[in-house]
Amino acid sequence: MLKQSVNPDLSGNEPTIVSFLCNWCSYEGADKAGNARLSYPANIRIIRVMCSGRVDPQFVIQAFKEGASGVLILGCHPGDCHYKKGNYKALRRTYLLKKTLQQLGIEEERVRLDWVAAGEGERFAKVANEMAETIKNLGPLQLSV
Amino acid sequence: MAERIGVYVCKCGPNIGDKIDVDAIVNEVKGIKNIVTAKNHNLLCSEDGLKFLKSEIENEKLSRIVIAACTPKMYELKFMRVCEESGINPYLMQMTNIREQCAWVTPDKSAATEKAKSFVRAAINRVSSQEPIERKEIEIQPDVLVIGGGVAGLEACLSLAAQKGRKVYLVEKSPCIGGLVVRFEEVYPTMECAPCMLAPELQEVLQKENIETFTYSEIEDVVGSFGNFTVNIRKKARYVSEKDCIGCSACFEPCPVEVPNEYDEGLSKRKAIYIPFAGALPNVPVIDKDNCKQLNGEECKACEQACPFEAIKFDDEDKIIEKKVGGIILATGSKLLGTEALSRYGYGKFDNVLTALQLERLNASNGPTGGKILLKNGKEPKSVAFIYCVGRKEKEYCSGICCMYSIKLAHLLMEKFPDIKIYNFYSDICVPKKEHQKWYNEILDKGAKFIRSNEIPSISAEGEKLIVGIDDKKVSADMIILVPAIEPNPDTEKLAKIFDISQDERGFFSEEHTLMKSFSTALEGVFVVGNCQGPKDIGDAVAQGGAAAGSILSRLVPGEKLELEAIITEINEDLCGGCNTCISLCPYSAISRDVEKKIAVVDETLCRGCGTCVSACPTGAARAKHFTKEQIFAEIKEVAKC
Ligand code: FES
Repeated sequence: MLKQSVNPDLSGNEPTIVSFLCNWCSYEGADKAGNARLSYPANIRIIRVMCSGRVDPQFVIQAFKEGASGVLILGCHPGDCHYKKGNYKALRRTYLLKKTLQQLGIEEERVRLDWVAAGEGERFAKVANEMAETIKNLGPLQLSV
Repeated sequence: MAERIGVYVCKCGPNIGDKIDVDAIVNEVKGIKNIVTAKNHNLLCSEDGLKFLKSEIENEKLSRIVIAACTPKMYELKFMRVCEESGINPYLMQMTNIREQCAWVTPDKSAATEKAKSFVRAAINRVSSQEPIERKEIEIQPDVLVIGGGVAGLEACLSLAAQKGRKVYLVEKSPCIGGLVVRFEEVYPTMECAPCMLAPELQEVLQKENIETFTYSEIEDVVGSFGNFTVNIRKKARYVSEKDCIGCSACFEPCPVEVPNEYDEGLSKRKAIYIPFAGALPNVPVIDKDNCKQLNGEECKACEQACPFEAIKFDDEDKIIEKKVGGIILATGSKLLGTEALSRYGYGKFDNVLTALQLERLNASNGPTGGKILLKNGKEPKSVAFIYCVGRKEKEYCSGICCMYSIKLAHLLMEKFPDIKIYNFYSDICVPKKEHQKWYNEILDKGAKFIRSNEIPSISAEGEKLIVGIDDKKVSADMIILVPAIEPNPDTEKLAKIFDISQDERGFFSEEHTLMKSFSTALEGVFVVGNCQGPKDIGDAVAQGGAAAGSILSRLVPGEKLELEAIITEINEDLCGGCNTCISLCPYSAISRDVEKKIAVVDETLCRGCGTCVSACPTGAARAKHFTKEQIFAEIKEVAKC
């Protein structure tokens, strides 16, 4: 059984949302959100990967194991992947992953795959805020031991 | 020996300094294992900041560093260079973005500080598992293959050949170079004579010692990758020796065969031994083997007997010529929408319904009538109707150049026949660019009529006249000119397969990026320029040819090596189970199977490091350098904590 090595802090700190952003579009989109001084909750924690296609389902599971309550995977819009089709591969993998997570008792809303282009600062902030809201409503993930 | 890690937090003046408690970060990380120093600095990217980093690395004998600052997109390369200069492998540095992705998006200072701390801890954890990466260099072949001798290809050839130490091979499918443009009389917006404009370029290409031109030739196959391709060129039998022929044209007259001349869009006849049009270069005829009697078992040696130089060689055969090149530029052009699609506009039914290209040839002094625009009955036209946007609806794209060349043709007609009536049936007029609209204005001023219609105008005949129009807007014209959409050449598909590049949904070659990399493809070292990449005018095609040449010039330098992408995937031989999953996933065909060892191998020149194969590898044999599972896990461990 999946076991969290770090238990969520239930003392009031927001549970974290580990966010995998592709280097070419989404990471830049997040930078644009910063340039525009938009705001989103501090529990959005970003990890840069070269492509959304690099996001191994193991990364997502590991994030939950390490205490995250949500995982965001962001890539270039369909058709725009810097490596042609990595985001389509991410799409297929995420679909399967969600099914597996459900079986482990993890709500599928805890994983969100979406597209943010390099210029879309506002969109990044919007997705980040929505995801934070979703996780807030779901509450911290507590994996059964 | 224990690692010695230094952590540097940039305040970026007030940008980070006011939003995040940088001292708190520094104090927190000081206690972490292997951290020998942690400091903040007001502006690390400044000259002073870079000097500071350098002296820190050297004085503290650091083995790895973490920089918490702005987005790595800004100065990562700068900081990597400092590492290199100070003796640390640049991949032993990790940047973390506490400005754009923290200070600037988190109004609450303590929340921002906590978030920044988690980023810095993650970077420290990650940097500890990073590995030095040596940038690899490979020997390259500076020679370049250009396919297609139209304006884009010519420009590429000449730009490339200007650099010493390189050969350029130009391969052209037809017997002559100059593409479509050399068959036009005048070109817009300068309204200058195209053959005159191109003559110096054509001569230079043919005469320059480091350009070798293969006309009447095609690409057979290609293997290899950027820097080192091997191509096989099929030089088709011409049956006329290029060495011996002086281009006197004594051979045409006696040839008994006559077929429609495709280079005049079927408006004239040519012999089985022919040059495409007067002045075509190189000035060496070719025997069309499908129509030549002698080559089809009938005794006829008329041309051979007429040739004063014994240049006719009926025993000529196709030759396969192998060349090694570092880069490849495809400039294979486009064509007008097929004649089948034109039949509902009366094309093929009415004599005087022509395509725009046919009118170009009628107007050309090297064309079938020597430049006289005449109706089938030999008379001059008194009225001409143009039908724009033929096929645009079905194609679902605007070719973008047809309005302007039609306006050019209308202008030329009005110059030639001052009393002529010009009707333009259009659905939208597209005349962008600074030089173009004046020509539209000019023909309007001179009385050309523009009639808007979104439907296909009906066309019928009344005696010698053609009636064209929609509903109540009908006119009578002597000649109708169809202006069809531009579509890819039929061999685009074959070439796409040979070069392993893709076609877009319209059939043109796909560019790497429509705006930023319109002339390169997903396959490194293979470029697509001119109309084979999408319809465009002469100026844009030439610019693309030059751009691709420039890209090659800067990267395939004679005598220098080519640096390969550092962040790529590697496959651990011992772990690979040979399942081939990665092979089918790779967008660059960079992975192949080693049949003997029964494992997958990565071609380092082709891999771009996306890591898609890595996340699919069931045994963990595939490893994304600098983005390994361990490194990502190291980051996750810290950022996932509340
Ligand atoms: S690079 Fe952005 S999704 Fe592939």
